[in-house]
Amino acid sequence: MQLERIDSLPTDEISGLRVRPGKPLPFGVSHAPNGLNFSIYTSAGTACTLVLFRRGEEQPFAELPFPAHYRIGDVFCMVVFDLDYEGIEYGFRIDGPQDPVAGHRFDASKVLMDPYARAISGRDQWGEAPNWQALYPYRACVSLDDFDWEAERPLEIPSQDLVVYEAHVRAYTQSDSSGVKHPGTYAGLVEKIPYLKDLGVNAIELMPIYEFDEFENSRLHPDTGELLYNFWGYSTVGFFAPKANFAATGRFGMQVDEFKQLVKSFHRAGIEVILDVVFNHTAEGNEHGPTLSFKGLDNKTYYMLTPEGYYFNFSGTGNTLNCNNPIVRNLVLDCLRYWAAEYHIDGFRFDLATILGRDPWGAPLPNPPLLESLAFDPILSSCKLIAEAWDAGGLYQVGTFPAFGRWGEWNGKYRDCLRRYLKGDGAQVGQLAQRVQGSPDLYQPSGRSPATSVNFITCHDGFTLADLVSYNDKHNEANGEGNRDGGDDNYSWNCGAEGWTDNPGIQALRLRQSMNAMVMLLTSRGTPMLLMGDEFGRSQHGNNNAYCLDSAISWVDWTLLQENAQLHDFVRGLIHFRHAHPALRVNRFDAPPSNLFPDCSFHGVNAWQPDWSADSRQLAWMFSTNSDSQPAGGDTVDVGTVDVDTVYVASNMAHYASWFSFPDLPAGFRWHLCFNTGNGDQPFDLSQPAQGDGGILLGDRSVLVLTAKPV
Amino acid sequence: MPLTIESISKDDYHLISLTGDVDTKTAPSLMEALTGLELAGLSELRIEMASVGFLSSAGLRVLVFAKQKMPHASRLILVGTSDEIADVINKTGLSQAMSLVPSHEEA
Repeated sequence: MQLERIDSLPTDEISGLRVRPGKPLPFGVSHAPNGLNFSIYTSAGTACTLVLFRRGEEQPFAELPFPAHYRIGDVFCMVVFDLDYEGIEYGFRIDGPQDPVAGHRFDASKVLMDPYARAISGRDQWGEAPNWQALYPYRACVSLDDFDWEAERPLEIPSQDLVVYEAHVRAYTQSDSSGVKHPGTYAGLVEKIPYLKDLGVNAIELMPIYEFDEFENSRLHPDTGELLYNFWGYSTVGFFAPKANFAATGRFGMQVDEFKQLVKSFHRAGIEVILDVVFNHTAEGNEHGPTLSFKGLDNKTYYMLTPEGYYFNFSGTGNTLNCNNPIVRNLVLDCLRYWAAEYHIDGFRFDLATILGRDPWGAPLPNPPLLESLAFDPILSSCKLIAEAWDAGGLYQVGTFPAFGRWGEWNGKYRDCLRRYLKGDGAQVGQLAQRVQGSPDLYQPSGRSPATSVNFITCHDGFTLADLVSYNDKHNEANGEGNRDGGDDNYSWNCGAEGWTDNPGIQALRLRQSMNAMVMLLTSRGTPMLLMGDEFGRSQHGNNNAYCLDSAISWVDWTLLQENAQLHDFVRGLIHFRHAHPALRVNRFDAPPSNLFPDCSFHGVNAWQPDWSADSRQLAWMFSTNSDSQPAGGDTVDVGTVDVDTVYVASNMAHYASWFSFPDLPAGFRWHLCFNTGNGDQPFDLSQPAQGDGGILLGDRSVLVLTAKPV
Repeated sequence: MPLTIESISKDDYHLISLTGDVDTKTAPSLMEALTGLELAGLSELRIEMASVGFLSSAGLRVLVFAKQKMPHASRLILVGTSDEIADVINKTGLSQAMSLVPSHEEA
């Protein structure tokens, strides 16, 4: 006879439900024999009540005060039996002092959301106006971790081999032109996998998919009356829950399964999934913001507070999460471990990551324990950790972010330098040489490698590539803030007319500039990242901060794919070229020379003679590697006993054409021309011997790429 | 809408015909009907779905549960599933546990 577990039996009855004392760990809800275990932390709360709702009903069907002996340390925990896990929503009331100066904002009239909620309902349909009077607007739900992954696991592609594609789930397929069955959803994104695979990207970085509220701070445009949303979602409601209304099946409460299916589908296509995560602040705002969860659970623990009890604001959005408090540190760690283990996520990009290195009073820590814990965590050991190494409090740590040998960085200096060089600014070539080889000036002294640098020219924040070459100034009127929002240091150039033009000369120059940017990005060492749609000229019509626009300005217009097929084909060719050439993906600053050339060298219009002067707007770089010192694969050629891969890139950002003489090759080799943006009719994949071999007349504002092949 | 369950043993397979909604309230009765079968000995289980208006995650999980109790090489076939329900099954990856066919002829 099988013995029944004692803990499967209730010991008490509260509010008509059978219960027993619970277990404090794990926090949140976990499945117990015959019931659910609820566990919630509060250090200064004096009493706690579990509030249970039937799904969708406004009023709770039961409120269960925790008896004193259900509290262990600072944790209230209880097992409730006989609950229908699928049909309930739950929250907590916490009683305690209301003393803001001391940091306490307890309010037992509020029902609070579990910070560990694995699924959240209340915003199941995108854009459906919420009931602002609701007692409990966002509701914690119970989820099951029973998804069948089969043999699927994270891909663990080395960072230097990645080509990252940054995308927003809703913006990517919401437009009718996307042609997907479920626009704006995880399922819609899955339908675009064949496109992404064909393009050649092997990592997708998703802008926030943690539950956020598109109605947070929603407002009407002062002139047009249009409703403005929190569209980007950099304001978290629940760190453990995928956004329900990004799921086609969210109204059935199936967002957890749908998002797991997304990850599984991407992995099957050989594409990693990286999440953009926002731990610097939450959706609760400052003292005027709503009390949703942390504020009423243990305000003083979760937020950085001034001595007067107000909120520090290093995030620029009202509050700052107190990341180096041990309780919050564990929350972040638990969260990322959960996404890595339960969702098979391959990596994380941390929004305003510098905040994660500040102490509870905002000062930067020399050895931030949270960053260290993440770097050495056994569950996250094969996940990419990528920092946006600055914050709105003015701390800028590109190159000095506390990396513990582990963290990568969004390289803002790469972006700025490449943009300035592209538009023809002087005094850039010296820095450019650093940027294209993976920024050794930033990363070599601390022993970091080129792939530390996530190279990008455009991202969600700022101009798209098409706009970078079409606008001198931002045009953010649609945001309803008098064009005062968004960055002013765009380093953009409109090529002769602001915005749309039918001038064919300007159009041709813009196309060439877009191609130039892509060539330099994809032939730089480090980890390249593209912004969704830049490969076919996506425009936001000059808006460089479309965070609030759920409209055609933000949505990817897929008709451009046909219209700008030449640019798309060019970028696709470049990405495949990158994958085929190990010389571009060498992940050492001190790599040995190849059998033909140094590992890395710089040149000017004359081979081996770079012009480093401030007036110089021409630079060529050459990478060369032996296959025996690099991972296998790629388009290497046999030189006697070893394979050598050599790529030479010449860039001419001057307004006149110049003759570039190529480095001499040993007998038996010839330079082959792969890309030449100065050749308007056929800018790429020429794959033919370069005429004359000695050099080429490279057009104004043009870039070319050569490889060395045996005759 | 209440759920009615009809269970018939055929020569080559077992047939469960469902009429109504399968949600948290009715899924337990479906679970009961399925666990009442000798699942471990079934080579094919067909579920007649044409008269099912709604299938919630609890209902779906009952079906996956049944499949996992059946032999590895067995087949779980949903017949006449509405487009909407089929969509949920496909989008959440549960389709790997079951086959969806429009009619018995195509099973």
